[in-house]
Amino acid sequence: MTRPDQTPAKPRRRRSGGRRGRQAARVSSTEQSVAYLERTLPAVDMLDEAGYAQIETNAEIILEEVGVAFQGFPSALDLWREAGAEVRGEVVHFPKGMCRRIVQANAPQSFIQHARNPAHNVKIGDNSTVFAPNYGSPFVMDLDRGRRYATLEDFRNVVKLTYSLPHLHHSGGTVCEPVDVPVNKRHLDMVYSHIKYSDKGYMGSVTATERAIDSVELSRIAFGGDLQDRTVMTSLINASSPLRWDATMLGAATVYAKANQASILSPFILAGAMSPVTIAALAAQALAEALSGMAYYQLVRPGAPVVFGTFASSMSMATGAPTFGTPEAGQAIYVMAGLARRLGVPFRSGGQFTASKIPDAQAAYESASTLHPTVNAGVNFVLHAAGWLEGGLSLGYEKLIMDADQLGMMGVYAKGIDMSENGQAMDAFRTNPAGQHFLGNDHTLQNFETAFYRSKIADNNSFEQWEEDGRLDAAQRANIRWKQLLADYEAPPLDAAIDAELQDYVGKRKSEMPDALY
Amino acid sequence: MADELSTGAVEDGDEFEDEEVDLTTLDDADLRTQMMDDLYDGLAEEIAEGTKILLSRGWDAEKVLGDVLVEGMRIVGIDFRDGILFVPEVLLSANSMKAGMAILRPLLAETGAEPIGTVVIGTVKGDIHDIGKNLVAMMMEGAGFEVVDLGINTDVDEYIEALEKHKPDILGLSALLTTTMPYMKVVIDTLRERGMRDDYIVLVGGAPLNEEFGEAIGADGYCRDAAIAASMATELIAERRNAA
Ligand code: B1M
Repeated sequence: MTRPDQTPAKPRRRRSGGRRGRQAARVSSTEQSVAYLERTLPAVDMLDEAGYAQIETNAEIILEEVGVAFQGFPSALDLWREAGAEVRGEVVHFPKGMCRRIVQANAPQSFIQHARNPAHNVKIGDNSTVFAPNYGSPFVMDLDRGRRYATLEDFRNVVKLTYSLPHLHHSGGTVCEPVDVPVNKRHLDMVYSHIKYSDKGYMGSVTATERAIDSVELSRIAFGGDLQDRTVMTSLINASSPLRWDATMLGAATVYAKANQASILSPFILAGAMSPVTIAALAAQALAEALSGMAYYQLVRPGAPVVFGTFASSMSMATGAPTFGTPEAGQAIYVMAGLARRLGVPFRSGGQFTASKIPDAQAAYESASTLHPTVNAGVNFVLHAAGWLEGGLSLGYEKLIMDADQLGMMGVYAKGIDMSENGQAMDAFRTNPAGQHFLGNDHTLQNFETAFYRSKIADNNSFEQWEEDGRLDAAQRANIRWKQLLADYEAPPLDAAIDAELQDYVGKRKSEMPDALY
Repeated sequence: MADELSTGAVEDGDEFEDEEVDLTTLDDADLRTQMMDDLYDGLAEEIAEGTKILLSRGWDAEKVLGDVLVEGMRIVGIDFRDGILFVPEVLLSANSMKAGMAILRPLLAETGAEPIGTVVIGTVKGDIHDIGKNLVAMMMEGAGFEVVDLGINTDVDEYIEALEKHKPDILGLSALLTTTMPYMKVVIDTLRERGMRDDYIVLVGGAPLNEEFGEAIGADGYCRDAAIAASMATELIAERRNAA
């Protein structure tokens, strides 16, 4: 430590190779890439202890009195009976505290999802935040071609773009739906594309038991050997709210649990239609649903990694349409994240939601209104973090790029305030007389390159400069960028033998079944 | 406003107080007006009572239906479209309409009057999305249709069984997943194979569909929302009856 009355010796500036050296350095210093965010930012609570406790009590009452339906899946009912729950028809009634005990005794507080490239392994839980792209959209849109049904080519493009975008940590799942491939074969092409065109973690198929099995088999080939000690997929199991798990989702969940793969057990609630309209009620219901789903997972395989999910939005009471980016949905993210923290399991929610059809001001506002609560609440796994349009019906190429840029900014927030010596920069004050600018100060020279997040999309130039550059708006700039990223894309290495084996498996499975429409 | 406030002309409380109205004391014209208000307010019991009173005064069922209920629901539809009425309110109105229809339907059948129509509707196999389908059923009931709702995850045999049992005018198919949309074609193709396709008007809907998809699978109409579904149903039935 230098004493306050001492002026530190000025470090001599070194040669950097002049223009050529600097140019090379700037071009190669791409955006800082981290595998996932490790938050130091404290999570914001929207409720006090009494509030959380009340919601937890209400959830237990719902679990016991109303119960949760496990529909069309008798083996789940058997497991519940054995565990001591009361089964009436297909509805399971849980003694108070039962689900919570099962989850807390078995489910890991966090886990590592392994990626093909270990540098892209992600931690899900505790203080981590992982961003994954849009999921499930039947349509895609871009500025050139407008809105259209998505194809396998679009799917691959989105996987490639996600691979190229440093602030997306995870390759996602059904980033868009390849509608041009027969329904019963799509999942093979999707999982293969994630493995082939990216080396980030991915999600498996959930739309049928055998599709989940195929996802596990493909992953076994890709990762080599048994997966019992490695989690390489985190898949999305939605509740059929209110208070119901359906056979399709239970089938897939059971496959993944048995294989020690992670699932997000996710209440998915459009308040008004699928729950009462108030946030406290939605929260109690979602907690009850998530607890019952996660506890089931633990009954299938104690210790299997699960994520507490919540997708909460509201329904326009005037028209019935789903709404996004509303303040109530933001509140729900905070409350649910707090409940998951108290339970001690990883939490999935949020993203960048909007009902807008195009990447316009509505899209940007609504997305930001979801993303900030997501980050401030301390969400661990953020599906739909980039690309979402039209209530999930469409993925926007430009929106993907614009959203990913925002995710970079969130990395800065999540890191919190740098209170190191360098962060405090007291030397800078000591070496700079009052009234003099800091541009030439050593501290500035040492920190300027990474000091401020530099958006690739925002334009901060003068009006004249902007006009000379073609008067482009943000979406048009994003349009240029996704095309450039695709042109520059280079696939990550994949062992030729493994690739051949994957292709064999896909080919074999495809030839075993006729194209089906469902 | 300012005047009203300063003079205290506006009494405290609701301007439209929930007064008890004895429907039997109203003359026909006032009763009709009151019933249209009651439909708007979603008062099922009152609608049932009013329907019975009009019938007891010698109105025939067709007149009660056309002049009072359908007309009342037409206004409900307009205010829903214009964002004045909300979904839960329209649901109550539709239930009131249903209460009236329950009384009128047997009478209409007796007189051989042309019923508004029957709809069999369900979400297709593999799909459990039903919020939209429920809204459609609600609007159809509001328009006076008899609606048979098969629920979710409906396979082609269940549709056909329901068609044979209820002999509806309209078959409505709902799907929200690109993985289940193609099943609509399975249903339509099966109807065709069995020579039943032309017996029904087939309407399809669900967010991931579009006009071209509806055409491609051989549906008679694609409905982008519940209000369109109800109006298209009414129009296509009228067309078909005129053609017959
Ligand atoms: C005459 O006949 C007619 C006429 C008109 C008809 C008609 C029939 N049916 C509809 N209409 C029309 O009139 C209605 C009223 O105006 C309108 O109905 P809509 O249904 O369009 O509108 C409703 C009033 C409100 N809209 C909705 O209710 C649907 C909203 C979204 C967000 C949605 C919801 C709510 C749900 N979901 Co699902 N869900 C989505 C939806 C995205 C979206 N924005 O649409 C979509 C459709 N889902 C999707 C997915 C992936 C899934 N969902 C699933 C589950 C669910 C919930 C159960 C959680 C829930 C449904 C609850 C319920 N009871 O219905 C899973 C599948 C379950 C299954 N087996 O079906 C699961 C596979 C997710 C998972 N991994 O678990 C995506 C589509 C996938 C695809 N590529 O096809 C999706 C686009 C969201 C997304 N991006 O992921 C019109 O379309």
